[in-house]
Amino acid sequence: MSSNGHHDSSTVTAADTSANNSAPAGKQDVAAAHRPERRKSTSGTVPGNQDRRKEARLNHSNDRNLPASVLTPPVPPPPPHLDDYRAIIGQAHVDSLRFLARDLKGKTLKMVNSTAVGGGVAEMLNRLVPLLSELEVPAHWDVITGGNDFFEITKAFHNALHGAKYDLTKAAQEIFLMYNEQNRQRVHFNEELVVIHDPQPLGLIRSKEKSSASWVWRCHIDLSNPDARVWEFLRPFVEQFDAAIFSSQSFARQLPIPQYLFYPCIDPLSEKNKELPDSVVQKVCDEFGIDRSRPIVTQVSRFDRLKDPVGVVQAYKLAKKYVDCQLVLAGGGASDDPEGAAVLQEVKEAADEDPDIIILDLPPWCALEINAIQRASTVVIQKSLKEGFGLTVTEALWKGKATIGGAVGGIPNQIIHKLTGVLVHSVEGCAFQIRYLLTHPEFAQRIGANGREHVKENFLITTNVKRWLLLFRTLEEAKARKK
Amino acid sequence: MPGRDKLIVRKPSKPFYFNTSENLLRIGRQRAATLGELLEALRTCPEDSIFQHTFRTLQEHHFIRQGFSNDFAQWSISACNEPVLAEQLAGVDVREYTSISGLRQRMVQILDDFLRENPPATAHSGREPFYFCASDIVIMPTAFVADSLPAFLEGLKQVSLHSIHHHFIEARLRLHLMSNDFSQWLEEELGLAGTADSIERIDIYTNTLEGVRQQIERSVEQVLN
Repeated sequence: MSSNGHHDSSTVTAADTSANNSAPAGKQDVAAAHRPERRKSTSGTVPGNQDRRKEARLNHSNDRNLPASVLTPPVPPPPPHLDDYRAIIGQAHVDSLRFLARDLKGKTLKMVNSTAVGGGVAEMLNRLVPLLSELEVPAHWDVITGGNDFFEITKAFHNALHGAKYDLTKAAQEIFLMYNEQNRQRVHFNEELVVIHDPQPLGLIRSKEKSSASWVWRCHIDLSNPDARVWEFLRPFVEQFDAAIFSSQSFARQLPIPQYLFYPCIDPLSEKNKELPDSVVQKVCDEFGIDRSRPIVTQVSRFDRLKDPVGVVQAYKLAKKYVDCQLVLAGGGASDDPEGAAVLQEVKEAADEDPDIIILDLPPWCALEINAIQRASTVVIQKSLKEGFGLTVTEALWKGKATIGGAVGGIPNQIIHKLTGVLVHSVEGCAFQIRYLLTHPEFAQRIGANGREHVKENFLITTNVKRWLLLFRTLEEAKARKK
Repeated sequence: MPGRDKLIVRKPSKPFYFNTSENLLRIGRQRAATLGELLEALRTCPEDSIFQHTFRTLQEHHFIRQGFSNDFAQWSISACNEPVLAEQLAGVDVREYTSISGLRQRMVQILDDFLRENPPATAHSGREPFYFCASDIVIMPTAFVADSLPAFLEGLKQVSLHSIHHHFIEARLRLHLMSNDFSQWLEEELGLAGTADSIERIDIYTNTLEGVRQQIERSVEQVLN
């Protein structure tokens, strides 16, 4: 982001991502990934790295001081190649991907979203784009630009589509349309498939008329209960697409276009999910004061009331009457979000200086540390009260952990009760499941193993690549039939 | 079972082509909030929705050894808390059906009977709706083509579980026979009727799909040994 608060335009190609490890040109500084979030903070300032380190020390001084090793972002490793996944998914699945890509050879697709770094969509595109290009289906990635006014409105749209109240004004509509039009004039659509991610770039659909591409809207938002006025404003754009994709059946709307289900995914080779030597897990636990000789119950989530961290503390305290364990609450969001700081304070009050409750307000680049903590855990909880898909659940399942999830959002897609994890609806239910899982290790192991297989079959980046190839083929066939 | 010597000299006239399939999941227009609505939707939904929630869901959950049979049974217990209905629906073996229409009729009959006996359950809202989905399927070749029993065994070991599902479970809908591609080939091309029969009797509901693969392998290895 430039200093005037406007997002720089950037186009990312597979070549770019290979050369630059992951992010678009000029955006390798991982700390910069969080600047858009800073822009939204109340102070409106963008601290430099020095300030950020100082700030981290101050803001993270809770029950456990963070080790110096996590106060600065690491250099991201280069993205993996398709063959790197062979050991995980098997040669047969890699062969299937190559077969599906064969008929698409040379056809191109374009992904358009609103941020090149930070956030789940950019993270996913950083992995997806190089893999598609390696399969000789060149993928281009464009990021729309806009001023603070645009992104404030789209943030409000985002919340409104999740059900928050919002007074949609004419002025807001005009700003949304104006920036979309500016981007539409700038971006060219010469590909066979154009994929628009989320509502921010929806106005680009006006270019469909002059392009021969199939247009798909990839909605990462739960649209099950949107603010009616915002949805009615956006719906006419959506209905012009050839298809829409949602992350869960329950997130979709009734639309006159075909709708597909693409589960969000994790990358098993990312820092957050790759296999770790036990020595690394031990080192991280030592640094954070986590005792691996005793059961560890963990929730990884930002400090947000919808993740119910206080409910997790209450459940732990109920369970602790019967079973010995430690509780690790590893998250972030308290240092740049006033509400996050308030929630963190509530959690500390609920913890009441229990030395077995370890609260970690981690910087967002601590993927490897999160990975290690998840791997060290006996039970992982995601006791959300409202949730998108819940990729922290996916991460825990991938690590074979017995997982307790709130029965909300996309969590039931991942946790089939008593088969791939356990679903709960209350603090009491969560407490019971902690007790049960800690005292029935065979059951915990069995659901953990099932959970890992569930992720392998349905929620890995390679499955996501497969879905894109299948969809691209389907749309190309439909186009050919029309001709 | 034919003798080993006889088996060695017999060459199949047609090789076994190992194929596999991948599917693209579509979200359908129908949804059910109650068991009554589920019954109505079961009667009217497209056949590919029935296929998705029975045959396909088995592939998506191939790693579960017990407790999961089809999405209708799963919803009956997890969202509607109706264990009797769930057990009855879970008891439907997709391999007893060579057409989707027959499978649909059976599901409808079970639910209809249950609601007649338990009228209050008809309007009972599930904790979450049942969303009907469907699949677009692409069938594709693999690198494995078997022109002998040892090559068949090698292919079995190497192909993905999607391929096993395609040949062993979904094959009925293609063959319209109470059999599967493996058994068909072993019997017709190699005369191994006994082996074909033992493979056909493998229980997919008490095994993971990997377990099914291993049982098929063992049956073939017994012939080779």
